[in-house]
Amino acid sequence: MSEAIVAVDRITKRFSGHTAVDGLSLTVPPGVIYGLLGPNGAGKTTTIRMIMNIIVPDEGSVRLFGTAGTGRDYSARIGFLPEERGLYPKMRVLDVLMFLAETKGVERRVARVKATDWLERLGLADWRLRKVSELSKGMQQKVQFISTVLHEPDLVILDEPFSGLDPVNSQVLRDTVVDWRRRGKTILLSTHIMEHAEKLCDHLTIIARGKKLVDGPLSTVKQQHGGKHVTVVFDDGGGGSAAAAVLADRKLVAKTDDYGQYAELELASGADHQEILRRLVGAGVRLNKFELVEPTLNKIFIDLVGPEAAHAAAVPQVEGVARA
Amino acid sequence: MRKTFAVIRREFVERVRTRWFWIGTILGPLLMVGLIGFQILLAGRRAGDRNVAVVDASTTAFGRQLTTQLGASIARFHFTRVATAPGVPDSLLADSLLGEVEAKRLDGFLLVGDSTLEFGTAEYRGSNVSSVADMEQLEGSLRRLVFAARLERRGIDTLVVQQAEIRIRLATHKVSGRKLTGESGVQSFMTGFGMAILLFIAILLYGVNVMSSVLEEKTTKIVEVLISSLRPFELMLGKVIGAGAVGIVQLTVWIVSAKLLSGIRTAGGLGGGFQFPQIPTMTLVIFVLYFLLGYFLYAAIYAAVGAISSTEAEARQAQVPVQLLLMIPYVSFFGILNDPNGSLAVWMTLIPFWSPIAVPVRWGASPIPVIEMVASLAILLVTVVIVTWVAARVYRVGILMTGKRPNIKELVRWVRAA
Repeated sequence: MSEAIVAVDRITKRFSGHTAVDGLSLTVPPGVIYGLLGPNGAGKTTTIRMIMNIIVPDEGSVRLFGTAGTGRDYSARIGFLPEERGLYPKMRVLDVLMFLAETKGVERRVARVKATDWLERLGLADWRLRKVSELSKGMQQKVQFISTVLHEPDLVILDEPFSGLDPVNSQVLRDTVVDWRRRGKTILLSTHIMEHAEKLCDHLTIIARGKKLVDGPLSTVKQQHGGKHVTVVFDDGGGGSAAAAVLADRKLVAKTDDYGQYAELELASGADHQEILRRLVGAGVRLNKFELVEPTLNKIFIDLVGPEAAHAAAVPQVEGVARA
Repeated sequence: MRKTFAVIRREFVERVRTRWFWIGTILGPLLMVGLIGFQILLAGRRAGDRNVAVVDASTTAFGRQLTTQLGASIARFHFTRVATAPGVPDSLLADSLLGEVEAKRLDGFLLVGDSTLEFGTAEYRGSNVSSVADMEQLEGSLRRLVFAARLERRGIDTLVVQQAEIRIRLATHKVSGRKLTGESGVQSFMTGFGMAILLFIAILLYGVNVMSSVLEEKTTKIVEVLISSLRPFELMLGKVIGAGAVGIVQLTVWIVSAKLLSGIRTAGGLGGGFQFPQIPTMTLVIFVLYFLLGYFLYAAIYAAVGAISSTEAEARQAQVPVQLLLMIPYVSFFGILNDPNGSLAVWMTLIPFWSPIAVPVRWGASPIPVIEMVASLAILLVTVVIVTWVAARVYRVGILMTGKRPNIKELVRWVRAA
């Protein structure tokens, strides 16, 4: 029933000198928005290219729709938006859309109708006979999105879809992606912007330096890796030494970011936040606020890949193919 | 196959829509009209009169006699004898004559002396030395007159010499398969020359088109989307066929208009000068066959060159060796025509990178033995297959590469990679 749409099994890809993807496995269930997250250079693009069979893994295998078919075999069922986007600048908008649909097996006649529909829907109807190069960047991006989904794919793969989008178009894309899921499509998207992932993704995998750090449904990841966090806002004058003594207890609090007026606490494993509250009140500390907070994905991400991310950024990008 | 056809159609339609296609297609016949018009103009115009001084340094009456005879022999040349005076240095005389040439009162001056009669040496200095017609006439007349003078010196009667002289007109006719083809030597030459130019330009032009098309997809990054639904080989094949189809259309327009123009010209009764050769069907078949095979061979190479380059400038640089390779048969076409069955012609027939131009040129001059023809086609066909295979492998890796152009070692690795 819920057979994986994409099943990646221990794939590895090496480029001269370094390993871009290292024994990575991931499973995308149907009907979800799946986030492939990682810092720049983590191997996201290489992974997606292997899923699409644009490059062949050195080891491991990729299964699509539960079969051994490649991305090319299923091109009619997959919509792919690569990280580096481009269209033929000298072609007319309608011709580009028709051509790209044809390469995915859509009949020319059908492609013309659908492309015209889409252009109308996104307010580009008047531009359909213009050359792509005459369009603004935002319009070109819209055309590109149309080309990705014109053939009504079951699986949509978007590599860094939000990069280069202004806030308005970003919102349009978010709405569109949510709409696609509602209609039963599966979306796999990569991003390094955690705010997008947190709002959109049901499932996610965080990778760094080609290796998986964590994966699972968003809520599970948050539970397992976020730890428990508490925000404390002190009454006038800060917590003073009484509060500091309580917060210094490593049995209760693993980490404290004390800003004077308020502090962010990360609880030690197994610690009870009620116990902290009791101790603080008992020590005579006056509180304005004591709140249990869920960690942001961003925080989890930085905690997990922080040192890795710093390292990855320092590695010069040698070849286009080698990029994440 | 349907996907490949979509690529072919796009390649063809987009090229035909460009301004350059129409300019090129129309410019071809226009150039031909221009060429013919120019030829007519040249043929119709009488070459101008020439004033030439004959500097006579001879100690006999030879110089005086020669001047008179030269004047009678070439009607449009006016010869004036200038004797070298004893005591006046030759250099001074030459200087003053050069001044005359510069002032355009003289076209040039001819230096003759006793050595002209003894050893056949003479010298001409003038502003018209680059005119082949002038120089041929002058040299021809000199040769005849000196020859006659030498005979006379041996006591042979002038009248006998004059009667012995006869102008030879050698008519040349190409023989093919024991038949006279009705083609003259000049026509054979023109056919060969025309085909060499046309093949060179066509293969180069459409090959470069494939290259820039590959490069466009690479620089605009659209190739990644294409490769996710098409196999690299399908994409490359579609491009090569699409651009080739444009070439066929353009060549057809050119050849048909050439045929029409030659018809108009003959009907107009404008004889003489440049004749558009009649092109036999077999020559046309060989021309088209070798164009297609040659085009496929070079287009595959150009696709690979486009794939390994990242910018237009880089590609232009990388394609120079390919262009030079194709230029070898083009520049040797003279050698092939001079000796169509010599070893140069035979080698060029067999070497696949050269035969696409060499064979049609050679065929235009002389029939090619069947065995050589078969060998040439077989070798070319096998090479096209091998080169396409290698190019496709380079293409497959290259289109996703950015940055530094790969060196030979890396290319070999790409080809070997499964």
